[in-house]
Amino acid sequence: MRKIKSREELTFQIVTNVFLGLLLVIVILPLWRVFMLSVTPFKYSDDSFGLLVSPAKWTIEAYSQFLSHPSFLLAFRNSLIIMFGGLAINLFMTVPMAYSLSIRTLPGRKGLNVLVMIPFLFNPGLIPAYLVVTSLHLQNTFWAVMIPGAIGIYNMFIMRNFFAEIPIDLKEAARIDGASELFVLFRIVLPLSLPIMLTIGLFYAVGHWNEFFTPILYLNSNKLQPLPVLLRNILMGLNTNEFVEYDAFSQVSVQSLKAASIFITMLPMMMAYPWIQKYFVKGSLAGGIKG
Amino acid sequence: MNRAVLRTLVASVLLLALAFVGGAQAQKLVDIDLWLLQAVTEAGPPPDDWVGYQIIRDKLGINLKLTLQPSSFSDQDTKISVAAASNTLPDLFGVNRDMLVKIAKQGLVAQVDSLLPLMPERTKTHYSDPLRNKLVQINKKMYGLPDPGAMDRVEGLVIRKDWLDKLGLKVPTTLDELLVVARAFTEKDPDGNGKADTYGFGAFYESSSLATIGFGRRFDYIMGAFGVAGTWNFESAKKFQFNFRDPNFRKAVEFIKKINDEKLIDQTWSAPNKDEFRARWKQGKFGIWWEQFAALSTKANYKDFDANFPDGEIIPILPPKGPQGKSSNGLDQANARIYAVSAKAMKDGKGPYIAKLLEWMATDGYYLLGFGVEGVNFNKDAKGYITMEGIDPANAYSQKAMQPLTQLRNMVYVNNDIELAVRYPTYKSANGKTMDPLAIWKFFVNSPYTQALGSQIIDPPSNVNDFTRFYNENLVKFALGQQPLNDKTWNEFVKGMDKLGAKEIEKTAKAKLIDAGLLD
Repeated sequence: MRKIKSREELTFQIVTNVFLGLLLVIVILPLWRVFMLSVTPFKYSDDSFGLLVSPAKWTIEAYSQFLSHPSFLLAFRNSLIIMFGGLAINLFMTVPMAYSLSIRTLPGRKGLNVLVMIPFLFNPGLIPAYLVVTSLHLQNTFWAVMIPGAIGIYNMFIMRNFFAEIPIDLKEAARIDGASELFVLFRIVLPLSLPIMLTIGLFYAVGHWNEFFTPILYLNSNKLQPLPVLLRNILMGLNTNEFVEYDAFSQVSVQSLKAASIFITMLPMMMAYPWIQKYFVKGSLAGGIKG
Repeated sequence: MNRAVLRTLVASVLLLALAFVGGAQAQKLVDIDLWLLQAVTEAGPPPDDWVGYQIIRDKLGINLKLTLQPSSFSDQDTKISVAAASNTLPDLFGVNRDMLVKIAKQGLVAQVDSLLPLMPERTKTHYSDPLRNKLVQINKKMYGLPDPGAMDRVEGLVIRKDWLDKLGLKVPTTLDELLVVARAFTEKDPDGNGKADTYGFGAFYESSSLATIGFGRRFDYIMGAFGVAGTWNFESAKKFQFNFRDPNFRKAVEFIKKINDEKLIDQTWSAPNKDEFRARWKQGKFGIWWEQFAALSTKANYKDFDANFPDGEIIPILPPKGPQGKSSNGLDQANARIYAVSAKAMKDGKGPYIAKLLEWMATDGYYLLGFGVEGVNFNKDAKGYITMEGIDPANAYSQKAMQPLTQLRNMVYVNNDIELAVRYPTYKSANGKTMDPLAIWKFFVNSPYTQALGSQIIDPPSNVNDFTRFYNENLVKFALGQQPLNDKTWNEFVKGMDKLGAKEIEKTAKAKLIDAGLLD
């Protein structure tokens, strides 16, 4: 029996590893291809450069072109402001809403849930949102990008479910001792909610980091444009500036620049993810188990 | 007495001071909000301390607020749509024609005929082309200001002269001769590297609007050889129709299928990618292609080909004549950078100020907006041509760092000799050959083209996406052999186009063109 068990386990382990290995290859290969494209010298801009070329032949010209762009640092700073500022607003607004809706004894809870579901199901569209933002005179400020999506309803639901699963006895014990709801939220619930906070925070942060359309719409000043908008302008400009007399980005092929722009945009998220990944699965699963 | 004199003096000084302050306050600045079609998309706007802002404030009494439009047309359209829907359009903004017509019909854009007499010099240099003016007219009233766009006839057919010489071939003049040359380029190793890695033709499928549906502009010289370049037949009101109804259109498609089947054309053509295409001719992958003269031959764009092939030579050639002796390098369409004035701005009385600003730009402001500060970013020679003599190279207007200073240049450029001479200077190639981009352009200008101004005026139908998708997909499938090309399948294609409203589109377009005086 033991042999069969261990044989089965071994087989299962091997099959799982092979499967996951294949999945890894499927994910890594295109990413690696894009990276190789970003370091391909101009004369190899077709497939002849290959995937396994020695780093001695790589060129970092594409990255150098972007990083030396006069607006790059400003755009990077703007992206950081939008990401962190937006994240703070998101969590500040989402957490109290999720917590209050997680309390089963909240009066009018069902009605509130219905009110929350309505905008979740029915999107009013772009024009009403634009009218609200402009009537509040938020255009051309970072607030126009950070405030409108302050509460992601799907994220709020996940968080609500997580809070609902925290043992009620813990909260009751604190209330009996005279703790206010705010105390319960900040001193008992939130410390236990690190997984969900990091998970939802990551969702929000990635959304803000990749924010592109809203800045185009609301941020008229070039000084406020975030990194995705700058990168898009650079890449679009390459297609139209062919007959400009100055030597713009012609040291590398446009494909290399596009590939480099993908990596530059991905890098901050890739650097942050290893630190929070251990909480990520726990948070994603916990909030999604029951309603 | 002394006290009285003193009191009088003090009172006079006070009155003078009040008058000064009052006078200053009386020069209230008018805010003009300009959404600019930027010249260099990644360069950014002029800095806050740009001398132009100060001059415009002092001389014109205008506080100019500049916003750069997004770089892509679809993003521009979205931004303008949203602003139009919320009635927050800026005072003066760049817009493409289709969007202009949409918002003009909603009453959000002002008629600008009344502004033209207020800017006589600009009207003479910018708005005196009746064909270009037609682009902004609705019911014979102008709803936009059509600044001269890019130069006309800038694209054409080119060939590797060094390959012709190596293979002992002459410059082809007919489609049959072109086919022979293409076959030689494909089969006879014209680059002498011992590999079968070259093609005769190079192109990519580039369909961007209703005016250029189908294979796109890179194949226009082939379609033109059969007399069917472009989407429409504009020869006369009687002949006006979609070109796909002409039997010669199918013959042109068959020719493209033939060169694809025989692998005489670079096999990447069906994947639309301009960057890849441009990289490939610089890598010597093919010997006959259609290209924009500046993308081909200016120093910045030619240098990679030059580095790879120092003895390589590219020359422009006339488009080949087809079976009936017809030929065409492509479509001759008027193009313009259109600026519109919002109805709100006109109602607020800003029209005359906008005219004043535009007139200044075309006259006193021409050099500043076009080239920067004289003596710092450029100098002028005795004839008024731009020269870099005496200028610190780091401050030359063409340097990357200086591009923000001339972001408004497309509002003043009119493609005159001054601009062209400095924009496209001659230079020496790697092997000492003198390269003259303007010579290539002049060759193209004197080549045959197909007149297609009307295509700019035809409004796209509501189902334009489905229409163009069906059209393009079928043609590409025919050419690639993914769909058999015979009488049955061709008739099905034509029926499919009619089901999508081709006849109604023709009828509406014809009426509009006749009304606009573009079809007789």
